[in-house]
Amino acid sequence: MATNLSRRFSSTIVTKAEPLARSAVNSVGRLLSSSTGQSQPERENAEVKYDGSAKQDDDGAEDGENDGDELDLNKETGEIGGPKGPEPTRYGDWEKNGRCSDF
Amino acid sequence: MTTCIPAGTGKLHFRVRDFNAQGCRKASWVTFSELSWSRGVSKFLQIQRCNSSQSPINESSKPLRTITSSSLRDDSTKFFDFTVIGSGVAGLRYALEVAKHGSVAVITKAEPHESNTNYAQGGVSAVLCPSDSVESHVQDTIVAGAYLCDEETVRVVCTEGPERIRELIAMGASFDHGEDGNLHLTREGGHSHHRIVHAADMTGKEIERALLEAVIKDPNIFMFQHHFAIDLLTSQDGSETVCLGVDTLNTETLEVIRFISKVTLLASGGAGQIYPTTTNPPVATGDGIAMAHRAQAVVSNMEFVQFHPTALADEGLPVKSTKARGNAFLITEAVRGDGGILYNLDMERFMPLYDERAELATRDVVARSIDDQLKKRNEKYVLLDISHKPRDKILSHFPNIAAECLRGGLDITRQPIPVVPAAHYMCGGVRAGLQGETNVQGLYVAGEVACTGLHGANRLASNSLLEALVFARRAVQPSIDHMKSSSLDFSASNWWSRPVVPMSLERNVINKILTMTRKVRKELQSIMWNYVGIVRSTTRLEAAEQKIHDLEAKWEDYLFRLGWEPTMVGLEACEMRNFFCCAKMVVSSALARHESRGLHYTIDFPHVEESERLPTIIFPCSSVKSTWSSRQLHNQPMC
Repeated sequence: MATNLSRRFSSTIVTKAEPLARSAVNSVGRLLSSSTGQSQPERENAEVKYDGSAKQDDDGAEDGENDGDELDLNKETGEIGGPKGPEPTRYGDWEKNGRCSDF
Repeated sequence: MTTCIPAGTGKLHFRVRDFNAQGCRKASWVTFSELSWSRGVSKFLQIQRCNSSQSPINESSKPLRTITSSSLRDDSTKFFDFTVIGSGVAGLRYALEVAKHGSVAVITKAEPHESNTNYAQGGVSAVLCPSDSVESHVQDTIVAGAYLCDEETVRVVCTEGPERIRELIAMGASFDHGEDGNLHLTREGGHSHHRIVHAADMTGKEIERALLEAVIKDPNIFMFQHHFAIDLLTSQDGSETVCLGVDTLNTETLEVIRFISKVTLLASGGAGQIYPTTTNPPVATGDGIAMAHRAQAVVSNMEFVQFHPTALADEGLPVKSTKARGNAFLITEAVRGDGGILYNLDMERFMPLYDERAELATRDVVARSIDDQLKKRNEKYVLLDISHKPRDKILSHFPNIAAECLRGGLDITRQPIPVVPAAHYMCGGVRAGLQGETNVQGLYVAGEVACTGLHGANRLASNSLLEALVFARRAVQPSIDHMKSSSLDFSASNWWSRPVVPMSLERNVINKILTMTRKVRKELQSIMWNYVGIVRSTTRLEAAEQKIHDLEAKWEDYLFRLGWEPTMVGLEACEMRNFFCCAKMVVSSALARHESRGLHYTIDFPHVEESERLPTIIFPCSSVKSTWSSRQLHNQPMC
């Protein structure tokens, strides 16, 4: 059964993408470039509802708003006005906060 | 005013290609197309335009709207140049174009924004980046479609996509941009380039908003909301079927309203509601596919139903909500990507039995594995457990899931999440040529209701909005040409008997019928899930066929014994007719495919077979023994 089901799917592509490492680097980059100089207060500002744990090494909420720019800019992707949080397609489907809406 | 030319002496001809039919099975038979899509269809639909010199007065430079507004003696019949059924992206996009040439009625069964389009939160795919190519998009689509796509269709759609996006932007849809001012493009699974255009994560909603705004402003477009389409109005001209409009039920006033038009666009969307768990809103009951089938249109590829493996299973939540969920809450791949583990209800981890990649196997494998477990164990859901991960990570990555589950009394940081696959998209539907034309004269289709050959055996992510946009646009010129070159007899409104609202029935009788219909609906959904699910088998499909047949007979018998007449209409009853129609088509198509390909998997033919690499076609055939659901309401046999 295992082989039957899996054999068929060589032609199906699901990209389990890259981003974990990429976003780690960018998160750090963003911290360093942050104009207020303090990463912790910014994070708590952005994520008021979560406990103020230290910046995770993977993609926490990358919130463009906190940069102090007028534009709602996502520094990692260069996107303006985009979805908040991590890249919605990073696992292949379109995801927001855990809910998938396209695949 | 136009002279009357009864349809019987109409000058438009086309030849119906004679496919080798295998014989009738109840109201339809299923066979395989002998030719490739586009060749087959264009031969199939040789439409000879009638010479305008032959047809009288009718080259309507005078748009019908003026006639409509001045001669509404009978409010229950309306005349429009174009009638559009459905108010999603396909319907509205088309309406905006044809409105430049005549009057348009847009018929929608609920509120105008209530459609699958509105829930499409991902994006639209198109080649908009210099380093991308149409060829690449074509290839990705064909691979995803398991090589069942019509290549010409794919090429056309991928080529015209970018222009359709630019038009949307010109119409006021705002998509996300990058700092450089260019459209921001993401990349979804199956795409080899970044090419998904989106508006934050509510693309469908944004497109719908922009189109609706333009439609509302357009003086030639008349929106009829809460009008449920009952049946297409057709007449025969020799071997040719002509569509002349549609009967509807105004569900607010409970009046039957008849629309007479030279051109009808069917853009009524999907049929997810035939399954118990679906991402589709309640309006998606396959009305268009059923109506088209009853109107003698060819339907295709109904066996290819796209499921997502992990939707939140409400029945597994500790606290059951009193109100049934409208549409399923899909749980992203990311949960598995982040380390979520799947268990059956005995807390056995089953994925390693099916694939060495376990939970990280491709979505199709996961969907089939879950379905297999559920069928073998006769259970309703499996469990997705992420509680072994740090609480704060879970909450920061998946706040939506956490909140939704908490509403149901479940803490995902401590307990596993109940999940079940959900029906999401119908790749099959009414067979369309490259101009959105069908084998019924004057009937065009676009969007999810259509089967254009783009998706093949499996839809590539974000290609559905694209297909809707491209085909809605392509159907415009042929529609205009047809409208201008055909004639319409204003007495046509009397050619068909009118559906009636069940005024003569007592309230308690109607209530009984309603209750029974709701029960039957649930039973049908259950049969579909249990017997026509993700992992299929000939035995199960045949069982489904029998059960559906019996259920339909039981339901109709109940209705008619209580005094329901075949020409009576009600929303739930009409939807139920359409449910049966679609369900039967899915089952017969699934039985006809003797291979597994794309979304259709059967243990009796578990491999891809080159000789089976053809679309599945359903021809309507008039059969003596037909059910209420298989005949147009105005075409019921006399008792």
